[in-house]
Amino acid sequence: MSAFLEVEHLTAGYGPLVAVEDVTFAVSQGEHVTLLGPSGCGKTTTLRTIAGLETPKSGRIVIDGKVIFDADEGRNVPPEKRGLAMVFQSYAIWPHMSVFDNVGFGFRVRGIGRRQARPAVERALSLVTLSAVAGRPASALSGGQQQRVALARAIAYESKVLLLDEPMSNLDAQLRTEMREELNDLRRQLGFTAVYVTHDQEEAFALSDRIVVMRGGRIEQQGAPSEIYCAPKTSFVAAFLGMKNIFDAELYPISGDRKMVEARLAPDVVLRVLNSWITAAASHPARIGFRPIDVRLETAGAAPAEGTPGIVTRSLFLGDVAHYYVRSGPIEICAHGRPRSEIVEGRAVRWSVDPDRCVVLRE
Amino acid sequence: MCFEKLGCRLSAADVSTERLVALGLSVVLTLLVISPLVAVTIAAVTDPAGLSAQPFIAVLGATRTIANTVTIAVGTTLFASIVGGALALFLARINTPSRALLSQLVTLPLYITPLLTAIAWSWLGSPRGGLINIFGRQVLGVDGLLNLQTSGGIIFVSALAYVPLPFLLVSAALRGMDPSLEESARIHGATTFQSLRLITLPLMLPAILGSALLVFVQTMGLFSVPAVLGMPSGIYVAGTEIYRSLNNFPPRVNQAAAWGLLLLGITSLLVWMQTALLNRRSFVTITGKAYRPRILEIGSTRYALAVVAWLYITAAVILPLATLVWAALVNFITVDFKLMSFDFRHFRYVLLEYPKTYLAMENSIILGIATATVGCALGLGTSWIIVRTRSRLRLYLDQVSMFPLAVPSMVLALGVLWVYVRATWLPIYGTIWILLVAYVTHYIPICVRAGSGALRSLHVELEDAARITGASWTKMLRWITYPLTRPTLISTWTLLFILSLQEISSSILLYTSRTTVLSVAVFDLWEAGNVNALAALGVIQLAITFLVLLGFLQFRREIRV
Repeated sequence: MSAFLEVEHLTAGYGPLVAVEDVTFAVSQGEHVTLLGPSGCGKTTTLRTIAGLETPKSGRIVIDGKVIFDADEGRNVPPEKRGLAMVFQSYAIWPHMSVFDNVGFGFRVRGIGRRQARPAVERALSLVTLSAVAGRPASALSGGQQQRVALARAIAYESKVLLLDEPMSNLDAQLRTEMREELNDLRRQLGFTAVYVTHDQEEAFALSDRIVVMRGGRIEQQGAPSEIYCAPKTSFVAAFLGMKNIFDAELYPISGDRKMVEARLAPDVVLRVLNSWITAAASHPARIGFRPIDVRLETAGAAPAEGTPGIVTRSLFLGDVAHYYVRSGPIEICAHGRPRSEIVEGRAVRWSVDPDRCVVLRE
Repeated sequence: MCFEKLGCRLSAADVSTERLVALGLSVVLTLLVISPLVAVTIAAVTDPAGLSAQPFIAVLGATRTIANTVTIAVGTTLFASIVGGALALFLARINTPSRALLSQLVTLPLYITPLLTAIAWSWLGSPRGGLINIFGRQVLGVDGLLNLQTSGGIIFVSALAYVPLPFLLVSAALRGMDPSLEESARIHGATTFQSLRLITLPLMLPAILGSALLVFVQTMGLFSVPAVLGMPSGIYVAGTEIYRSLNNFPPRVNQAAAWGLLLLGITSLLVWMQTALLNRRSFVTITGKAYRPRILEIGSTRYALAVVAWLYITAAVILPLATLVWAALVNFITVDFKLMSFDFRHFRYVLLEYPKTYLAMENSIILGIATATVGCALGLGTSWIIVRTRSRLRLYLDQVSMFPLAVPSMVLALGVLWVYVRATWLPIYGTIWILLVAYVTHYIPICVRAGSGALRSLHVELEDAARITGASWTKMLRWITYPLTRPTLISTWTLLFILSLQEISSSILLYTSRTTVLSVAVFDLWEAGNVNALAALGVIQLAITFLVLLGFLQFRREIRV
């Protein structure tokens, strides 16, 4: 697959402030790529430079083989000539127009009459199940309906890439799940190329072919959702994706076992970790991380248990799951699991993590 | 990269459109705002022979006039701010009876030109011929009940006219204040009065100071009220002095300019001080949001507060209007009821015989439409650059467009006169377009404020969405920005039309016999002593104003439905 949208060495910001620094990524035709990161990480700025709403300081953007921005050549195609569509965080539904006119705006500005535009507009509206309200003023719609109008407007006029800027952040939790499924269905039907911006990891996992995690204006890691989830490379990505247990450790090779190493988190806390990179016999400082959900807790007293002993310092009951905090010497780990009545604060337990569930992290 | 230099937000192809617009507006605003001020400065330090301190020495020697000007400006500012601020508090925050109606009525003086208020009050309160005094002498047997031809009288009448400014600004600030700030003061142990004094008042300070300064700048260069009430008794202020210097033969242009520069110096100093004072404190608690203000429930004192408001409305609106209408209809001025008879002869005279009526009406209406239209267009364009772009010119535009707030309109007119008498490449001197230039320049701050207010409340993504969907910059302005800001633009348009219809301070310096306007025609009749015709023309001028206002209200009701 060759790249359909290429962003190369993009740097953007205003004045001394740098919002995006040397960002490079590519999107193939039909691919759905998500820019994921906390607020202020530069993901929205990146999206807006692709849209042409911000002017980068340097770098190059190519869509479908056409250079739409190149700082060195001084080329900068205005937003309306880039052939894109965008769904905004605020939906940006024009309140002085009907639903139909909102969706048909792309045709109107290109001098295409209402009658000619009608089939495309109606198709877009039926795809988002809004045919019934086409004639209504757009300002009379509910939040979820406005979201659908924004989506219909974005898909009505054939665009090369669909840009979505945190489109679900203003919806309530239930609507958000619904819209997520609808968006996936639409993609399956229409096969558009999309760049999606969000700070919600669940949304990113559910919608993307590939995720680009950003931090402080730079790309931290990119890859398929499962790859990002299972093998975060840095402690930032790990922590952002819910890996609450991240500790400095010393790695030691295990004699006779080349597949595994020992990670010493504290003098008495030693975990076994799948070896991905140690070859030398010497010890290595490193950082390891594991998810609370992968921690197994055993109450002491049952059969000679394996694992590290510790004391439960806090337990939080959240319904489906419970969060337990366990202290072992100088470190405190967090474990998630089904609530268990026997695990109470002050109780002695043993905890363990499977070696393939521990990740060695950079930084 | 050329666009990089301007640091614009949007991209190359329309950075050129946008940049051109920004550059063009900067040039236009510089010509409009800066060139008259430079001209005044140059004129003030020269005389026909060359560089000279003579005009300035002459001006500084007139200590009486300077003292009068400052006394009247300070007095008016204090009076108007206290009354306006108090009325704002009474009507926005206290359970004063019929406060909704009163809030509307209190703003009415905005639509009545101070010239007419002053003339009406001079009929009521001049020492010998004033109706109140005649009434006192003939009926009560008391002499000298009221004399408004004094500094105090000028302050009283000017303050009546300017009360709506502090009232509107302070009310807006009171409505924009988060009531939970006061509530939390109450929870933490403050009494109602303490929370007003310790929380509300400090938060209102920018609005109070800002409106006080606005009133001060206006009254420093005030012409109409001191001309009507001061000149007959020999009380002169800077505004009337500028007028006299120019109407002298030969005109003492440089001396007039020196007066202008002196006023400009004082007002700029105060504006600078205000900025310095307020910049140190940031009042983020007052947002654009409108809160439902918490209404203080008080006992029977609230009726006294309503009486205060009604007294103000009586003095500023009812009494002057009644006097004016009475004088327009009565055959001749008398307090003897047996001699009074009413008909439309003065209206007949003004409409059919007085040669200036139609000319003045036509000029005033053309100027009103042109000022309002040009002002709105300039305001929207300038505020778009200021609010929406990162152009470096936007900082300059922001500054320069607010500058006329510090310039009394008479000083501005003086500069405009000086520039266009010489600018033979733009032959607008002697036409109504020179008045248009002065009006537009004077009202630029209102236009830009209104425009940026409207744009700030318009989510930027509404415009961005249009661009992405394929609209060019100009199409976006036409199809998205303009329709969505139209309600604000229409109110601004109406306000500008009404303000230009009333304008006299700069018109009186710039008009010629062919380019006379309604206010000037009224003033001419006053100078000629043709009292009844004046009243009739004044009533006509007010009728036009209120017709436009009614049309606007009707229109607003229609677009709301």
